[in-house]
Amino acid sequence: MAEALQEVWIRGGKTAARVTADVCAPIERGPTALWYGAFAASVSVFLVGACAMAYTLSTGIGTWGLNRTVGWAFDITNFVFWIGIGHAGTLISAILFLFRQKWRTSVNRAAEAMTLFAVMCAGIFPLLHMGRPWFAYWVLPYPNTRGSLWVSFASPLLWDVFAISTYFVISAVFWYIGLIPDLATIRDRAKSETRRRIFGFFSLGWTGSARVWSHYEKAYLLLAGLATPLVVSVHTIVSFDFATSVIPGWHATIFPPYFVAGAIFSGMSMVLTLMIVARSVMGLEDYITDRHVDVMCRIILAVSCMVGLAYASEFFIAWYSGNPYERFVFVNRQMGPMAWAYWTMVSCNVITPQIFWFKSMRAKIGLVFAASLVINVGMWFERFVIIVTSLHRDFLPSSWVSYAPTSIEVATFAGSFGLFFTLFLLFCRFLPAIAMAEVKGILQPDLHGHGGAS
Amino acid sequence: MSRTLFAASFAREADILAAAAEVRRRGYTISDAYVPYPVHGLDEAMGLAPSRMGWACFLFGAPALVAALSFQGWVAAVDWPINIGGKPFFFWQAFIPVGFEFTVLCAGLGTVATLLLTQGLLPGRRRAVPDMGATDDRFVLVLVKSGTAFDAGEAMAVLRDCRVVETREFLEGAA
Amino acid sequence: MPARLASVPGETRDIVRETTISEHRKDPSSGNEPQRKHQSVWPEHVYEGHRWGMAVDLGACTGCSACVVSCQAENNVPVVGKDEVGRKRDMSWLRIDRYYADRDGDTDVVFQPMMCQQCGNAPCETVCPVLATMHSTEGLNQQIYNRCVGTRYCANNCPYKTRRFNWFQYQEEGRLSNLALNPDVTVRMRGVMEKCTFCIQRIQEAKFEAKGQGRAVRDGDIRPACAQSCPAQAIVFGDVNDPKSRVSQLRKDPRHYRVLAELNVEPSVGYMVKVRGRTAGAGGPEHG
Repeated sequence: MAEALQEVWIRGGKTAARVTADVCAPIERGPTALWYGAFAASVSVFLVGACAMAYTLSTGIGTWGLNRTVGWAFDITNFVFWIGIGHAGTLISAILFLFRQKWRTSVNRAAEAMTLFAVMCAGIFPLLHMGRPWFAYWVLPYPNTRGSLWVSFASPLLWDVFAISTYFVISAVFWYIGLIPDLATIRDRAKSETRRRIFGFFSLGWTGSARVWSHYEKAYLLLAGLATPLVVSVHTIVSFDFATSVIPGWHATIFPPYFVAGAIFSGMSMVLTLMIVARSVMGLEDYITDRHVDVMCRIILAVSCMVGLAYASEFFIAWYSGNPYERFVFVNRQMGPMAWAYWTMVSCNVITPQIFWFKSMRAKIGLVFAASLVINVGMWFERFVIIVTSLHRDFLPSSWVSYAPTSIEVATFAGSFGLFFTLFLLFCRFLPAIAMAEVKGILQPDLHGHGGAS
Repeated sequence: MSRTLFAASFAREADILAAAAEVRRRGYTISDAYVPYPVHGLDEAMGLAPSRMGWACFLFGAPALVAALSFQGWVAAVDWPINIGGKPFFFWQAFIPVGFEFTVLCAGLGTVATLLLTQGLLPGRRRAVPDMGATDDRFVLVLVKSGTAFDAGEAMAVLRDCRVVETREFLEGAA
Repeated sequence: MPARLASVPGETRDIVRETTISEHRKDPSSGNEPQRKHQSVWPEHVYEGHRWGMAVDLGACTGCSACVVSCQAENNVPVVGKDEVGRKRDMSWLRIDRYYADRDGDTDVVFQPMMCQQCGNAPCETVCPVLATMHSTEGLNQQIYNRCVGTRYCANNCPYKTRRFNWFQYQEEGRLSNLALNPDVTVRMRGVMEKCTFCIQRIQEAKFEAKGQGRAVRDGDIRPACAQSCPAQAIVFGDVNDPKSRVSQLRKDPRHYRVLAELNVEPSVGYMVKVRGRTAGAGGPEHG
């Protein structure tokens, strides 16, 4: 009877030893042909993007489709897109930890890794979009012989510098700390000397000591408690890039919650995209079960409704305000020359996830996978619409322009996906994709070491 | 000054909890336990005091906040005041985002550094106890043998009652 | 040519303002709407000494663009070529905006020279992360070329869109045409933002000249290139802190207004309502 009341997240009556064996198997058996194929493809895409980036660096931002009115387009859209994706990892790791959601243990390791890689991809764009990126270090406040000439703490871009770097460092540290017990597990199983040495080095002598676990648990809780406001603050600060400006369509107090909700939305969709593929390729369906997929779909549905509400609020308030410039921005979004982008955004973000109201839809994994891709397309367009449609037609009509990307911008964007998937494939190859120690902790308590139904 | 230790490994969480509580009740000294994941109730069974890691977090975070806000204020209003957008020189509201981020950064890194340094988790550290499967699926309880009133017969009886799987005796520090 | 400026029914943007001579005679402020004194949440900076400002008479401007050409010559503004201009990457620091109104089959036009408005509460200054743009003690919005890293946030935030970015390395060494460059003005490299500076090199020159002669700068000593070359003298530059200067007089004129003043950016450039020499057919619900 007690079993029926307990949540059943891990299928197949797994024992702790089984967990170790299942999760270490993909690492220990070596890369498959499928892995090599995927790796080759993603590295190639990344190299194409790298060439495009090199061309931009050597020749100038003029190689992009930007102009005197639209100063940001693909560059900052991509930046916000990738940062947003990263936020789901921290949500799963930190926020769901604080809410004691046991199901997070199957996906948190991979999701946190996704966060790190997404932030790395995001970080390319603020550097690359600068006209003189070789001076990018000027955004750091360091004493110098020019006064000292410091930085402008009034600027939201500067807040971004601190926010993104803090987010990357704390996410990396949180991820690594979580990895330590699992690295020790691999070290203790390692058959080859090299593997034992490398994992031995990075596992910092971990033995599973209960005394250390006690402090470790506290530190983990503290990091989760720090990471939670951090993730909210980081995307809030990113939203301030727009909210603190004067441009209609940007100057909106709704942006902080709107962006954070959108980040969770796109990030969770990317987690689904990655997990649905990874679990079947790596044989981890007993750990990342259809129930996990179901829960993530429900989160996505909830956030989709929030995002839809945000779209509606913006539109209503623009009308209600009576401000002609504000009203025009929204009419322009829906009916102007870039309306196709707006309607793509709405159909992908608001309409598509509504299928998740139905359990039968959430159970069709192929459909869920397709929906997750569609949602990320929609979320990219959301940032594109915010940035480009607000800029291209603002106060003075003499400055109104159209915008179209060049192949260089598209290649750079594709290259960032190449980088992301390359890093993720490396992660799956060399590191445990599931947090073994945490999963072991949620197996049925009275069935450890035995087996039986779970 | 290496102590002789006596390790007993169990296959189940409940077993090590029972064993730890019982041996402590009988006056044995527990050196440590080694488990694949944090076991609820083990800290109490072993008599461990709660971690004070929270203090480390606060002691790194609070000064960081003060430092970040002061530095920004000094830069903007004292060292080289510049009229930016008509704002007053001390535009303190804008200091909040960077102040918050720097606080989180220092609190987080400080907590982790405290954890690693106080618990001796450093790169290349060798394990101090033999591998008995504690990182896989075994729960290992280690008692101090030398220098205590260690009755091997009584200890083994208690441990067998708790379904001990394997025992081993070794010198501390020799993995 | 769009008949109305507005694309949404009922929307008007009163960027240019006009009236007729008959209306103007009845009420000198006709065509103009009073602009509320801007609200501030903090104590304002005080500008002792000079405070530079400009007034542009829409009635006098014929759209000849001599100002645009002289600005380009004076400030080493690069010539980017037809392709780049086609991609909307022209570099003019000063442009002439044209607003059309269709009236009974005739088309009326208002020309509005638009340059950096040197805003007191400049939205561009706030967003630059590296302090490449800030406000001088004489009310100028300064652009520090050698500090600019080219994030383009300032240009995005400018409501007047008067900032220009060097998308490529437009200027090259070794060209014969470099002999025509003004040695008093920096040549900007790629990746750097630039904009109207109120011809700061001329301001500085006049101030040094006056200091050398032991006198104050007189109204009319400083003429930016645009003001100097305008055949209709539509552009007036001067010290707003000097109550006797021409620009101060124009500010008190009931025809004076500022573009997008409701944004509270405090532009230093003002415009004078265009007065058409006809008795009917101008002004009304369409402000252009």
